[in-house]
Amino acid sequence: MEKITRRQFLYCSAAFLSSTLPAQAFFAAKKNLQSGAADIRGKVFKGDAPDSLWKWSHEGHLYKKLSDSKVVCGICPNRCILAEGDRSVCRSKVNIGGKLYSLTYGNPCAVNVDPIEKKPLYHFKPKSKAFSVATAGCNFRCLNCQNYEISQAKPHEVRQYELFPQDVVNETLRAGAECIAYTYSEPITFYEYMIDTARLARENHIYNLLISNGYINRKPLLELCKVLDGANVNLKSLSDDIYRKLNGGRLQPVLNTFKTLHEQGVHFEMTNLVVPGYVDDDDMVKEMCQWILTNLGPDYPLHFLRFFPRYKLNRIPPTPVSTLERFREMAIQEGIRYVYLGNVPNHEGNNTFCHNCKKLLIKRLGYFIPQNNLMGNRCKFCKTVIPGVWHDESDKAV
Amino acid sequence: MKNKNDSAISRVVFTTGISSVVTQLLTIREFLTQFQGNEIVIALILFNWLMLGGIGTLLARLVSRNYWQARANRLVWLSLCLACVPPLQILTIRVLRDVFFIHGSSVGFYPTLAYTLFMITPYSLLVGFVLPYSLFVLRSENPSYPGARIYIIDNLGDVSGGALFSFILVFVFTPMQAILLANLPLLAACILLFRVHRRPHAGFYVGTALVLAVLITGLFMETPSLATAEGKLVHYRDSLYGRITIYQDQEQFTLFEDGTPVFSSQNLVMAEETIHYPLSQPEKPRRILLISAEGGVMTELEKYSFERVDYVELNPAVTAALLRYGLIKKIPGLNIIHQDGRAFLSKTNNTYDAIIVNLPEPETFQINRFYTDQFFKLVKRHLSSKGILSFSMQGFDNYLADPQRLKLSSLYNTVTQYFEYVLLLPGQKIYFLCSAEPINQDIPALLTSKGITTEYVQGYYYGNLTTERIRRLNELLDPTVPKNFDKTPHLMRLMFFQWFAKYSTSPHAFVIVLLVLCLIYLIRISREEFVLFSTGCMTMGSEILVIFAFQIFFGYIYFQIGIIITVFLAGLLPGAIFGNKLADRGSHLLTFSDGLLILLLGGFLIALILAADHLPIIFFLLFGFVVSLICGFQFPVALRVRGDDNPAATRFFSADLIGAAAGTLFTSVFLIPYFGILWAAVGLIGLKFLSLMIIGSVHGKNHATTVSLL
Repeated sequence: MEKITRRQFLYCSAAFLSSTLPAQAFFAAKKNLQSGAADIRGKVFKGDAPDSLWKWSHEGHLYKKLSDSKVVCGICPNRCILAEGDRSVCRSKVNIGGKLYSLTYGNPCAVNVDPIEKKPLYHFKPKSKAFSVATAGCNFRCLNCQNYEISQAKPHEVRQYELFPQDVVNETLRAGAECIAYTYSEPITFYEYMIDTARLARENHIYNLLISNGYINRKPLLELCKVLDGANVNLKSLSDDIYRKLNGGRLQPVLNTFKTLHEQGVHFEMTNLVVPGYVDDDDMVKEMCQWILTNLGPDYPLHFLRFFPRYKLNRIPPTPVSTLERFREMAIQEGIRYVYLGNVPNHEGNNTFCHNCKKLLIKRLGYFIPQNNLMGNRCKFCKTVIPGVWHDESDKAV
Repeated sequence: MKNKNDSAISRVVFTTGISSVVTQLLTIREFLTQFQGNEIVIALILFNWLMLGGIGTLLARLVSRNYWQARANRLVWLSLCLACVPPLQILTIRVLRDVFFIHGSSVGFYPTLAYTLFMITPYSLLVGFVLPYSLFVLRSENPSYPGARIYIIDNLGDVSGGALFSFILVFVFTPMQAILLANLPLLAACILLFRVHRRPHAGFYVGTALVLAVLITGLFMETPSLATAEGKLVHYRDSLYGRITIYQDQEQFTLFEDGTPVFSSQNLVMAEETIHYPLSQPEKPRRILLISAEGGVMTELEKYSFERVDYVELNPAVTAALLRYGLIKKIPGLNIIHQDGRAFLSKTNNTYDAIIVNLPEPETFQINRFYTDQFFKLVKRHLSSKGILSFSMQGFDNYLADPQRLKLSSLYNTVTQYFEYVLLLPGQKIYFLCSAEPINQDIPALLTSKGITTEYVQGYYYGNLTTERIRRLNELLDPTVPKNFDKTPHLMRLMFFQWFAKYSTSPHAFVIVLLVLCLIYLIRISREEFVLFSTGCMTMGSEILVIFAFQIFFGYIYFQIGIIITVFLAGLLPGAIFGNKLADRGSHLLTFSDGLLILLLGGFLIALILAADHLPIIFFLLFGFVVSLICGFQFPVALRVRGDDNPAATRFFSADLIGAAAGTLFTSVFLIPYFGILWAAVGLIGLKFLSLMIIGSVHGKNHATTVSLL
């Protein structure tokens, strides 16, 4: 074998080095959407149902019986098919003896009285108190869930209160709250409990609020709309890929929910959590605004929420405030009339401005409202009707 | 020629030691950046490393006997591969994390185990393989070459690598630069070995050039490999205590410490809660101590008319970066101290009106020291009569899960021994306010009375922290949960429990598999191997105990901990030399040295019980040195007892490494968190007793045989 010269050696090294330089482009081209699992949707828990029912079991609504004692749940688009002894994706439904049961009927694990602005609902009876209830379980698997302690838990794994529908209504009245908010984890998973409570609440002149991911089938939603007064539904992004990757759900059913709520005349507000590197895409925000305008119109409030590292998605920085401001500007320019910022204390984007005369209608300092220029549902200055559910003029002092 | 050959191979072994230790340390740091830096993860990485090294050693015997005879030129190629793998390994760890796991997400126990195992397998197996293979090469020309000598040379390389990294490379160089520097000697040793054996040829030079090119390419890949889609990397420093990166996303700067965002220039809520919750309580807080900080806290502090703020931050690189990018600002009266917070408190005579601890949760032994009975006692000594202590734990929005409830209860039970009034405030973080005076929970009203305005607290407090929520949280605390002590870190056990619960996993499957494998291994090994296994286990266990105890008493002092680790390696060398000289005296020496190890650890235990914080630093160093000296001593003795042939050498190398792996995992994840430091020492003594009995029984048998022959 021939001896290699020094020059050859150097050329060889230089050539190799040069060939590795383009590898740098690989790092620059990294896309978050291509990383890790593409779909984190939950699976049915095989053979995980308890042996027997407990006092908070209730036969499920809108399910179908299949052959071999199997059942299919009809509440959410997961449409879990459960063999006997199986537990649903949301962890709160089981098949026992060929029947579908909810295990979360009358046993909320979180009960609080919250300001309605916290939901957030800015166009629904400002300053009213919402008696908020949640049970364990969720049909999503959001990596950044704020309530993962209950949303990703089975009903028997959490401490619970005993509050059957009538008790919830009684407690709401006792707390002096005007509304009941079905919230925190995912109310769609305790649909039976929610709808029975909501019916009783309606009879007692209490408002019903749904704070949800909107992952529900049309039929149960139509039933719910009959007793629903307001909703805040998360529009996590306008990308099905992101829904599957970060949330473990699908986009289209959520869009359908918005259409149904709109069609049924339920007041709702939309929240979009701006996750850096995933949801902070100008084009997607424009597309989202266009979809809203086309399908729902300009009147439903849209909240852009600031992301903070949470739960499993804890290696991403918070959303810069300027990103949220830019999105707000973009959404307003696209034609959405009421666009807010969330998780940014005392920002101008927390206030309500009349879409017609642009004057300040409601100034919000945290949960305080030092200034309210609404007269009933109209702007005090130009008398334009402001979309939402507002206090009557007579109870403005509330 | 023979001598030349021996020296050339020895150089390869020595430089392999340097390269492998530097690579190991850098790999551990890289994994800690990519994954949760808790004690389980640290132990897992070390465990995987040592275990794979042990398997690699066993493979060397198998492969060289049956398929690949030991030859010097093959050793050269193996060593070239060894020099080339480290930069690829580090870059692969960085890059593939985002391929296997969703970007920005943290992962649980099993994915971490699988990923760390998968990533280090090539290098660890190779490095484990090379050491005995070198011995076989030497013995192919010189069959009487002593196995202990190669062990000594390897140790010498390890000590040099450890010292080189801990005292030079980590201060000056980035990981890729350190890898390049640590592998250049190995590359040179390869060239020298090749020249001794064969005339240089093109293939070899091309190979060397490629390795060099890979090492140099690593330098160019260093920063690009840290890029993310959600921000521009504006600051990068691999400091003594971990990696610090700052990413800029428009006007916002976020400082990441070991891959986790810890400071943000726009985290107003956290800054307000951190400062105003405690400072609203004393009438006029004049002297304030901050142990670590949050972005924006100085702006909030400025709202009070204080005399002095002592801000203690362990890592100077953190404060430098925070100040440079405006995450905190210099304010009049601010005194920045770069020291371990607890060590500072134990030495200072200052008293404070408020002590605000702003540290992460106690996931490591180091951080646990700030949440113990002894720490709260120390804090109490440095607080004025109406002073207030504040610290926080991870919060919850609407439901306090049981693992967290137990953690809070343990902390509450610990801190209430020293403070009559303790109030927990819920939120994104749960704040503990502790004082000898009653605590007023109407913080917005207190701030208003002081004329202080805030953006968050006064606007949102009443809605987020309703009286009902505060009452409920405080009522959920369980007075029966054990307290957290320095020597019995109960809180860490709860942290482990919470970590597993968060990912809905349990370590049971892993533990069962490990126990079964361990049992199979222990059944198959000889008595002498068991001695080495138990000594490896005890040495690593002791090292962890010493570092843990040292931190309790002296704080986290990089240099001194670096010296402890070096001392634990350094003792091996004279021990092995000494053992090599006395090896002929037989298994008595193993019995004697096992007995010595028991006495040593027993002495350490008694000293900890009796003298505790009066122990001088030299005590810890001396203990570490002697333990490792005995460990090093036993290797050649065991080898001689068993017959210094190739199979024995490989099995003994393996026993030592596998024992060390077991000791790491067993001590840091099980013994200390579950039984505390003292019982952990007792456990290790128990293991050595077992070893003593086993080796003693051999000796007894031999003795009986001798008697009968007589």
